[in-house]
Amino acid sequence: MKTMPVYDPRGVVEAAPLVISPRVKQLDGLRVGLLDNTKWNANKLLRGLRDRLAAMHAFGTTNYYRKESFAAAAAPALLDRIAAENDIVVTAIGD
Amino acid sequence: MGPARPPLTRARILNMGKTDILHAPSPTPATQVPEGTDLIEWYYERGCSDGLPVVPPTPAKIAAAVAALGGESGLLVARVPPRWGSLTHEVLAINMVMAGCQPEYAPVVEAAMLALCEAPFNLNGVQATTHMASPLLVVNGPVRRAIGMNAGCNVFGSGNRANATIGRALRLILLNVGGGWPGVLDKSTLGHPGKYTYCIAENEEVSPFAPYHVEHGYRPEDSTVFLLAAEPPHSVTNHFANDAEGVLDSVCSAMSTICNNNAVSAGHCAVVLGPEHAATIAKSGWKRHDIRHYLWAHSGNRWDDLYGRGRYGKVYNRNLPVWYKREPDARTPIVPSPDNIHLFVAGGEAGRFSAFIPGWGHMSSPVLRGVGGARPAGAPECADGTCAV
Repeated sequence: MKTMPVYDPRGVVEAAPLVISPRVKQLDGLRVGLLDNTKWNANKLLRGLRDRLAAMHAFGTTNYYRKESFAAAAAPALLDRIAAENDIVVTAIGD
Repeated sequence: MGPARPPLTRARILNMGKTDILHAPSPTPATQVPEGTDLIEWYYERGCSDGLPVVPPTPAKIAAAVAALGGESGLLVARVPPRWGSLTHEVLAINMVMAGCQPEYAPVVEAAMLALCEAPFNLNGVQATTHMASPLLVVNGPVRRAIGMNAGCNVFGSGNRANATIGRALRLILLNVGGGWPGVLDKSTLGHPGKYTYCIAENEEVSPFAPYHVEHGYRPEDSTVFLLAAEPPHSVTNHFANDAEGVLDSVCSAMSTICNNNAVSAGHCAVVLGPEHAATIAKSGWKRHDIRHYLWAHSGNRWDDLYGRGRYGKVYNRNLPVWYKREPDARTPIVPSPDNIHLFVAGGEAGRFSAFIPGWGHMSSPVLRGVGGARPAGAPECADGTCAV
């Protein structure tokens, strides 16, 4: 059978798949980070969430962070700091 | 979270002319289908189209485009976010052919993709945003005529193969290689007609001012690409003014709307003056510098008008510069500086029309890049009373 070639316009992706961290079993005593993506109401949402969770769980500490632009990834140095200073992190997306 | 960032440095990838050229793995061999297969439908079925039929690539067409890129089919041009697909010369050529490009458009398409992948442009954000924003490409320099671009009547379309297919090649790459599929990674609420194609050339031949790229330090004989994440053009009609201020007051009015991307998120914008308007402004003796400063100084919104006059409580809006006053009667600039207004002359010689083109906001900065490795001259070059830095 005669054939003709077809082409893939997508290009290969060379990236190692990310593995998500294991989930924690309980929240008491943990250091909780809140990462504000600086979208319009992110701070209200995250602080409200923190207050509600704190009423139910005895966190060790809560730490608050902001990234400088909602449209760009957080700076690697900020991510390293968050990872070093917290056991779990809460963030939010969307407007 | 998106895929992991590639380990290669962007500076290495983007630096044309350096010797440490990076090679991606060899492209997978072409798949074979039975002769007589309807290839237009085949590519549609595999999700490779922007909604319009693509030109099925052939070995000869791909080879011609790769040759126009300088050969080296496996050479890595960039990784395109948010999918981070590898844009090699061959993949670029495949998308160019699908878009309907002639091989000679290759240097412009490549320069534009390099510009889009520069960090200040933030292509990741532009691809994913809910906003209405698509990269606008403006070409300057001799390459426009060499490849038959349109800078005159109907400059924004339609009708010209180079304008239409260069813009379309960028969009197919952003879709196929970058993964900017509507609803998947491209979350734009309304989309944008410029997501089919959005490419013009400046009308340097009829413009009474220096070309855009000369204002920014390039020589007239250099060719450049300018990329701005942009809304569609907002038409400015003015048939009554016979001086610079009269024409520009209409442009200021078009700029001074409360809901364009810049009013809400600062950043950069473009203004395209039609040739009749440009001639009227030049007759008043005004230059590029004067135009951009006038537009900046006499446009703006009243702070309180931006957020419903207090109906929803006090709004601060952290996306606007801290030095904008948040007082009800304060004038809020459309963009933070006259240098954030990118000025072009384009369009046909009949008709008193111009266009205001908002950008996306502070989240993306436009990029100006030389075609074929052209770079700005070291010392400032002065033209039209403006000394480019």
